[in-house]
Amino acid sequence: MTHEPQIQILTRKHRSVFFWLLVMVFLITLPSLIFYTTGYRLSFENEETSIVTTGGMYVTTDNLEVDVYLDEEQVERPRLFRSAYYIQNITAGQHRIAVQSPGYQTWVKELPVDSRVVTEVSAFNLPIQAQLRPITAYETATGTAVYFSTGTSSTVFRDATSTEPFVYSSSTATSTFQLNEEFVFVESLFGTTSTSSKSVFDRFMDEVSRFGFSTSTPPEATSSTSTTTKTVRGDIELLDADGELYAKWQGSSTDIPYYFCVASSSRASTTQRYGEHVAVAIKEARASTSTPLLIDENRICRTQIKLDRLRQDVFYYDFFPNSSDLVLMQLEDGIYVTEIDDRSWQNTQLLYAGTNLQIIVENDVIFVQDGDQYFQIATEIESN
Amino acid sequence: MGIVWTKNPLFSEQIRLYSAVFMIEKSHLLPYAQRPDFKVARANELTGKDRRFFRFLEIVPGVAAWSTIIGIVLASIYIPFIAAYFIIAFSIYWVLKTIFLSYHVRYNLKRLKHHMELDWEAMIQRFVYQDHYHLVVFPFYKEPREVLEQTIEGVLAAKYDKEKIIVVLAAEARAGDQAEALARSMETKYGNAFGHFLVTIHPGDIVGEIAGKGSNVHWALQQVKEQVIDVKNIPYKKIVTSVFDIDTVIYPDYFNCLIWFFMTVENPHQSCFQPVPLFTNNLWEAGALSRVMAMSSTFWQMIMQERPEKAATFSSHSVSFQALYEIGYGQANVVSEDSRIFWNLMIANNGNFEVVSMSYPVAMDATTAATFWGTIANIYRQHRRWTYGVENWCYIVYHFTKNKSIPLRKRWSVALLQGEGYWSLVTNPIMLFILGWAPIFLGTREFHETVLSYELPILVRNLLIVAMFGLVVSAVISLSLTPPRPDGHSRFRYIVMMLQWIMVPMTMIVFSAIPGLDAQTRLMFGRYMGFWVTPKERVK
Repeated sequence: MTHEPQIQILTRKHRSVFFWLLVMVFLITLPSLIFYTTGYRLSFENEETSIVTTGGMYVTTDNLEVDVYLDEEQVERPRLFRSAYYIQNITAGQHRIAVQSPGYQTWVKELPVDSRVVTEVSAFNLPIQAQLRPITAYETATGTAVYFSTGTSSTVFRDATSTEPFVYSSSTATSTFQLNEEFVFVESLFGTTSTSSKSVFDRFMDEVSRFGFSTSTPPEATSSTSTTTKTVRGDIELLDADGELYAKWQGSSTDIPYYFCVASSSRASTTQRYGEHVAVAIKEARASTSTPLLIDENRICRTQIKLDRLRQDVFYYDFFPNSSDLVLMQLEDGIYVTEIDDRSWQNTQLLYAGTNLQIIVENDVIFVQDGDQYFQIATEIESN
Repeated sequence: MGIVWTKNPLFSEQIRLYSAVFMIEKSHLLPYAQRPDFKVARANELTGKDRRFFRFLEIVPGVAAWSTIIGIVLASIYIPFIAAYFIIAFSIYWVLKTIFLSYHVRYNLKRLKHHMELDWEAMIQRFVYQDHYHLVVFPFYKEPREVLEQTIEGVLAAKYDKEKIIVVLAAEARAGDQAEALARSMETKYGNAFGHFLVTIHPGDIVGEIAGKGSNVHWALQQVKEQVIDVKNIPYKKIVTSVFDIDTVIYPDYFNCLIWFFMTVENPHQSCFQPVPLFTNNLWEAGALSRVMAMSSTFWQMIMQERPEKAATFSSHSVSFQALYEIGYGQANVVSEDSRIFWNLMIANNGNFEVVSMSYPVAMDATTAATFWGTIANIYRQHRRWTYGVENWCYIVYHFTKNKSIPLRKRWSVALLQGEGYWSLVTNPIMLFILGWAPIFLGTREFHETVLSYELPILVRNLLIVAMFGLVVSAVISLSLTPPRPDGHSRFRYIVMMLQWIMVPMTMIVFSAIPGLDAQTRLMFGRYMGFWVTPKERVK
């Protein structure tokens, strides 16, 4: 041990050298990180070192268990409990993004990625086999659903999975069971809320015949186009017109969802990047007074997107529970969910197959009447 | 030079009386200290151009801080790309600053430990120091007996001739009869243990003062001069004055260490001697929040020990009585009296005054209270008082424009360094932990679509994680400075003492930036603060 105080504090020279060393680090690091964060990367391809610009893709999913693939390569999962993937270092050009998981339908889209820009997209995956929670008239003392006819239940669950156990009763006696209050509630829902048995197309044809073949003067008619039903969530309105189903943006241009917009470019380019249908829609919107285009410095936004109804009649539509980007549709052969985002194409997934259906969405819960049976449809596979 | 004091006749009369009490004799003061505005505390004590200039200086720190914060918000909204680049630059700067400061802490820790192992008593034998007195002033308010006893016992245990120690227990008349009675009982108990033991009672009604430690010390120094020093005819140059907070418990070799530095520095009467305050007296009783704040304050002082050209005196410190006498014992009208005394001395000595880093500790109390919320309130108030030290920046810049004898380079460097210190204290934590994300939330649509918008939070997060490694260093060093575990405290506490450092981002904002902004905003609007006495308690 030294027997003199170590009175020498850090010398000015010592500190100065350290300080200027850190200044050098700062001056080198700052431009490097600014270039990095704006999308520039060093490329070592073809044994040559060059600087390339990259873009990114931001994928949100509705399910934590899915796998995301970019151009057939799996993307590393984000941290725990996050359902958004930010994929970096993507070279400019068209890229295919796929989101899938065992037991779920696959969602796929092909989108352009531009240098220094992030392409946003939202994926959804519904179970391949419908997930139904039975709502029966009677239940056991422990709350288990009871079916009195084995024939009926086997038909109902032929292409579906019950999320909860249920029991069969060979007898029709109800004395050993208790009345299910939820059944009474759901039954009353379907009793009081009549979902039209007429399709959107039928209603359209009714309107056409009313205006086109009537001998009397139609009241206040100014257009041959009619809108029969409107559903609104946030600033998006769902409407049917001329037998088609549309999602219409009613808010300001600053808040418009990304999927209404495409980069300002030629029609050919738009066709190549987003599909012919988008280019046509933009062309039609340019001529339209009711659905004007919102044009910014570097993008064009439509205010209306036609939804893919799979060439079937639409009997019912509403927003998918807890979403303003997805639409629930009852078509001729079942209940489907489609995305409003029509860039490249619209993913449409079957939620529940059936032809004799009634559907009601109450407090973001989907209830279905299939024949004389009532169910709640679950949108995820429940893990046991 | 403007005439000091206002035009209010009543106030002017009060000032005349004040001057009569304190400023009758000025011939002993250094020339610059004889100026009537030498001890200016606020703009309203000046007139004319000086008053407007001082008021301008009072506004500058608050405007600078608020402009920075609002500027970043506005930049995030209107020029988010520029704001994002600035945030990247600032985050890198923060990481490098953390490395830079951590290096200083580590180096000072090495010196501190080395100094604590030395036999200072043996080392000062080569000097003729026996005729040097230690004058120790303990201002107190309503602190309990246990605090006073532990403090005085610390002096009693010092390895220095007790006959050469003058203890002044400086009570406040405002604190009532109980405080005076306690002081008298201490005098009875310890009076004969030292060369002299003086109890002073600071009157509560002296015009021109603000209630607080500064005015109490100011009074006590005059009283001890008249009642002890002059009576005993002790040369002022032979007295080293230590002004200690009442919770300051010195280590046995403190006075020897102090004498060693006093004897070896080039200009002992133009130097302040700064120990390292270790807030460890009640560390085992204090909560995690108190411990983090206490250790953070210690670390900051350790950094300052290695950068004395940026330092001013803080809390407990020592200085020659001659130096104090030459400036009239500092100021009785400011909140941050511990630092102001240094600026008084530096300006009066035309810049020829320095802080000498002792790298030797004194033990003090971590701020606590009986309840959790009480602790939070106390820490907040204490840090607001400390950060109100920004009033010193107004003082030094004001006098730097007056005292041209101070080298111009020194004036500029000190003003800029101190200004940057107060600005960064308030703005940096807010910029780092809150505003760093502003462009992401406030930026334009064009910005949100860019890679930069997505990469920015990832980069800032990663840089903060790197900076947080400094906390690991802090945790290890803090454990090495923690007193031995007393009986009744679980070993599990050591783990808590390590993990407690994750609170630092929060404490930097809640107990550094916000009280600092509070203090600067008050000064900006001329709502001057008074002195708030930090409560001191002991487990009985």
